[in-house]
Amino acid sequence: MGETRQSPNWVLSSLMLAATAAWLTLDAVSIAPNRIVPGTPYAALEVVGGWPALLMAVPMLAVVVLAWRPNRKGLTLSLGVVMALLALLPLWLAAATAVLVTPDMPQARVGIGSALWLLLFLLLLVLIELRTRLGMSRALGWLLLVPMLLGWWLALSLWLEPLALLREYHARSDQFASAVQQHLALVGAAVGASLVVASLLVLAMRRHTGVRRVGFGVLNFLQTIPSLALFGLLLAPLAWLGARVDWLAVLGVSGIGWAPAFLALLGYSLLPMVRNIFVALEEVDPAVIESARGMGMARRQVFLQVRLPLALPVVLEGVRITTVQAIGLTAVAALIGAGGLGTFIFQGLGQAAMDMVLLGALPIIGLALVADALIGALSERLRPGGAA
Amino acid sequence: MIELFDVTKRFGDETAVDGISLRVEKGELCALVGTSGCGKSTTLRMINRLIEHDGGEIHLDGQPVRSFDEVALRRRIGYVIQSTGLFPHWTVARNIGLVPRLLKWPKGKVRDRVEELMQLLGLPVAEFADKYPRQLSGGQAQRVGVARALAADPDILLMDEPFGALDPITRATLQDELRVLQARLHKTVVFVTHDMDEALALADRLVVMHQGRIVQQGSPVELLREPANPFVESLLGGMDRGLKEAALIQVSEHMLPLGPRLLASERIPYGASLSQALSVMLWHRVDRLTVVDEEDIPIGELSLRRLLGAKVP
Repeated sequence: MGETRQSPNWVLSSLMLAATAAWLTLDAVSIAPNRIVPGTPYAALEVVGGWPALLMAVPMLAVVVLAWRPNRKGLTLSLGVVMALLALLPLWLAAATAVLVTPDMPQARVGIGSALWLLLFLLLLVLIELRTRLGMSRALGWLLLVPMLLGWWLALSLWLEPLALLREYHARSDQFASAVQQHLALVGAAVGASLVVASLLVLAMRRHTGVRRVGFGVLNFLQTIPSLALFGLLLAPLAWLGARVDWLAVLGVSGIGWAPAFLALLGYSLLPMVRNIFVALEEVDPAVIESARGMGMARRQVFLQVRLPLALPVVLEGVRITTVQAIGLTAVAALIGAGGLGTFIFQGLGQAAMDMVLLGALPIIGLALVADALIGALSERLRPGGAA
Repeated sequence: MIELFDVTKRFGDETAVDGISLRVEKGELCALVGTSGCGKSTTLRMINRLIEHDGGEIHLDGQPVRSFDEVALRRRIGYVIQSTGLFPHWTVARNIGLVPRLLKWPKGKVRDRVEELMQLLGLPVAEFADKYPRQLSGGQAQRVGVARALAADPDILLMDEPFGALDPITRATLQDELRVLQARLHKTVVFVTHDMDEALALADRLVVMHQGRIVQQGSPVELLREPANPFVESLLGGMDRGLKEAALIQVSEHMLPLGPRLLASERIPYGASLSQALSVMLWHRVDRLTVVDEEDIPIGELSLRRLLGAKVP
């Protein structure tokens, strides 16, 4: 391959410069003797004489230099550096913990500081940029995260017991598992039900223009109600129903709990779902439909063999958007006693315990990312004509 | 045989097709020509009932099209459209086998038929059977479109500007192939186009439409000789008409036997058209050409003087 002169990759160099600056100036960890006392912050340079932090900054600056004339070799080297840094980060945290937490502090809690968060965030952005530049597939991109995950797993299971986040988790590991379960159950039920309801609604909309106009109007209106207000609005009617209808009460329908949460999530999920399914079905190339009819396919055959399979990737796109949205919205449902990971967020906010908030928020982000990736990959596979 | 009796179609207040009558004989290629919006496509799509006619009658082999189930009707009529309408999620082979499968042919028979058609249309099976439409060039895709239309061996073929989206060279190639194919298969073809040269080159019968009515119909030569009105004349190319007519005539039709005179130095194959011969004469500034056969052996001569004399007896 001929060495063509490349212009500098500004994205790469500025991200990396910002990461280095954050790493060397902001607070990396904080140590608190117990849950109540606020922690003492430490910058990375203040830990273990600062030399490990400086040592880590050297390859970061090397990537900035390599980005000046980006070629394949340099980019691959940078990728290696970034992956190594991501894997080293938890180990550095473990080392810092070992040094800063003395045996006379059995209740000590280690908090992750802004420098570490920012570094993690910026390095992941750099990883995405490098993956794109090197033309790697999505699947390979996920593999790039393996060293980092291994590093965290190792550090968390062996050395990071005083990490505040982990202490919060250990204090409520049973509660955590059931919260994840409740969260997923609510999201699954809402997305599944909205897929069914939306499909039926779209079929009716395609038949009658009247239904189409009214349907979109109502759904658009629903979407504008703030989520908290919708939960509140459902409180009275559902409480009334639960009190009057025995079998509903047996099912657990009341003003608070899963029933209003489910209904509100369903309401919010319907618009993106309906819109995507509708557009997906309408936007199939009319020439393809025309030729299907012209060839002598019956109405049903045109729909099932041509329109639906061609629309499926866009439908799944709708499922993806809806799922990610529902994972986030379910957090709010904790407020009306529906459980889920939101419980930790609101309890944490109430107790001013940020680590507990994180215990709820981080898994929500993780779930959203995983759902996004899985459904995205599925929709990619279903593109017409294979992944050409 | 396709017959239209006083057929009318209205869309709201607008009359798209206004009482046209037409008869396409079995094995005939009939071209519907006209500017866009003249009702030619609508006429075509009323034959396979993609559009239902409002008035008059359309008959296939003497039976009104309304007497057939519309789905069954379409399965016995081949249909080709400009944008091919190939199913992007199906392979070439599956696309071509569509109608035979709809007709519930046994699997082996469908496969054999698909391979036969791919060979007929110059698409090597090994190379193309498993490709998807997006992997094809425009010309290849349209060949697949034609193969798909021919799959269940229909007697009737409806073609709606099938080559309209292709570049001129590919279009000319496919026109030639269609001519060869038609000489072999003798389908009853209705061919919609706005390209008069295409119509002149392919059609046995030309039907010129304007504002929903038939302005004139006849063989290409008849139309060139006696255009019914200035509209048809301009559609036929005005002053270029002479050359267009010459393009339809083979050199062999006006060839004279070799005389005692010296052979003319410039040669022309006997299968060339008269317009090509005239072009050669103009280029070399000669009034005689030696006509040769495939082996380049002189078999006669072509004389400009006799040509002019022959036109005005």
